[in-house]
Amino acid sequence: MTRDHHQRVIWTIGGGKGGSGKSFITTNIGICLSKLGSRVILIDADLGGANLHTFLGLLPPITSLSDFIKKRVPHLKDALIHTGVPNLQLLTGAQDLLNAADAKSAQKRKLLRSIKSLESDYILVDLGGGNALSVLDFFLMSDGGILVVTPEPTSIENTYRFLKSAFYRRLRQAVSSYSAKSLIDEAMDQKNEAGIRSPYELLREVRRINEEDALKMVEEAATFRPNLILNQVRSKKDIEIGFSIRSACQKYFGIQLHYLGYIVYDQDVGNSIRKRRPLVLENYRSKAAQCVSEIASRLANSHRMNPGI
Amino acid sequence: MKRMEEQTYYEILEVSPDAGLKEIQRAYDHARETFHADSLAIYSLFSEEEMRKIQAAIEEAYRVLMDEALRRSYDQSHSHLIERSSREEQVEKPVKSSEIRSDLSFTELSLETGEITYRGRSLKQLREKLGIDLKAVSAETKINMKTLELIEEEDLDHLPAMVYLKGFLKAYARALNLDPQKLIEGYFQLLQEKGKK
Repeated sequence: MTRDHHQRVIWTIGGGKGGSGKSFITTNIGICLSKLGSRVILIDADLGGANLHTFLGLLPPITSLSDFIKKRVPHLKDALIHTGVPNLQLLTGAQDLLNAADAKSAQKRKLLRSIKSLESDYILVDLGGGNALSVLDFFLMSDGGILVVTPEPTSIENTYRFLKSAFYRRLRQAVSSYSAKSLIDEAMDQKNEAGIRSPYELLREVRRINEEDALKMVEEAATFRPNLILNQVRSKKDIEIGFSIRSACQKYFGIQLHYLGYIVYDQDVGNSIRKRRPLVLENYRSKAAQCVSEIASRLANSHRMNPGI
Repeated sequence: MKRMEEQTYYEILEVSPDAGLKEIQRAYDHARETFHADSLAIYSLFSEEEMRKIQAAIEEAYRVLMDEALRRSYDQSHSHLIERSSREEQVEKPVKSSEIRSDLSFTELSLETGEITYRGRSLKQLREKLGIDLKAVSAETKINMKTLELIEEEDLDHLPAMVYLKGFLKAYARALNLDPQKLIEGYFQLLQEKGKK
């Protein structure tokens, strides 16, 4: 499967919490897509601990994004690392820019433009579990944001926190008036003085001060469609949690979450990570590898995904 | 982005306005499971008061939509809203319970929970669990009640001839959204085991 220059797709993998499997999923989905014949670039932007190279069995890379930013290499493509897997390349060091408090938004936009200009069919960005504004922006600017959740209260709580931050940030970018932006900023604090506890209450308050902005918020909610992968499921009941999360998001945020798939709990995953051999290469027949493969196929046939999340 | 108070009963249960009883029942079961106090999926999201509101709305939506007369009256009094939501759903690809099943098609089998083979009695148990009346199955499949009862009771001596039985099982499986081939295979295995027909 090949795509021309303009059909490149960028997916960001974020939310949840550390240990929910984002790096494992990013690496293995990337490999599955590359095995389908697509050119794939993995970008490591995990603020908490960038180590996609370890998942690929590589030594810490010598070249990284910093080399491009500091102009040690002329083009971003020169900072890419060959992974040993055909069609699959790796870019590390993106976390440095996302983490930098003084990184200007113009610089981030430039980076995104450079990333979008890379010759590839798919670009998968591992954002880690962070909640920083630059991480949220990256999540929102991609073609599809993917949340990875495990069926545990801590993971689900963190995911909702991330989703709420991303959703409110998107709404903030959509509205025009200063008063509406201020109100959204205030609503980010759960104990805000205005007493806004949910997106609906926020919408109600915005409508009071600016009807046009309220309409924009409704339009944004209708097009905001993040994706969900449920990882480490151990039972059919666990699988159902993904559908329940989707329903809960519909009721709470008024958004349509796309349940992309689930990955069963499988000891082969831990074994493959310890061996530093990606599961889909090490043990393609394992249950978790089959689940990852199915999700990758769904992404490849991404007609169900809504561009712009 | 509508508040609960603004949503139609169909939107509350996440079904299309032309959903059948079976689909509504399944959506209701899913909604009850999701918005239960101990549900993991709602953790940290709703206050107790919001939960009570949602649960009350789900119960009311279910009560009305499962009653033919009440539903008809509701549809008439809310026709404008329901039509509108129907159009929106076409655009937005709504969540339908049928999508839930299709999404579970592959990896469900890879879980070590054991493959369920539906035969007569287990079929009846599943139907009852889904809250589907045998009359509803009869109406949908055009199979008479007596025959359906014979199938469920595994009354091998009085079952119709194999050639008809196969068609009946196929229709019954579809009515419950099961894989027809699996039901037929399971049922015929039962026949072989019992050495009949």
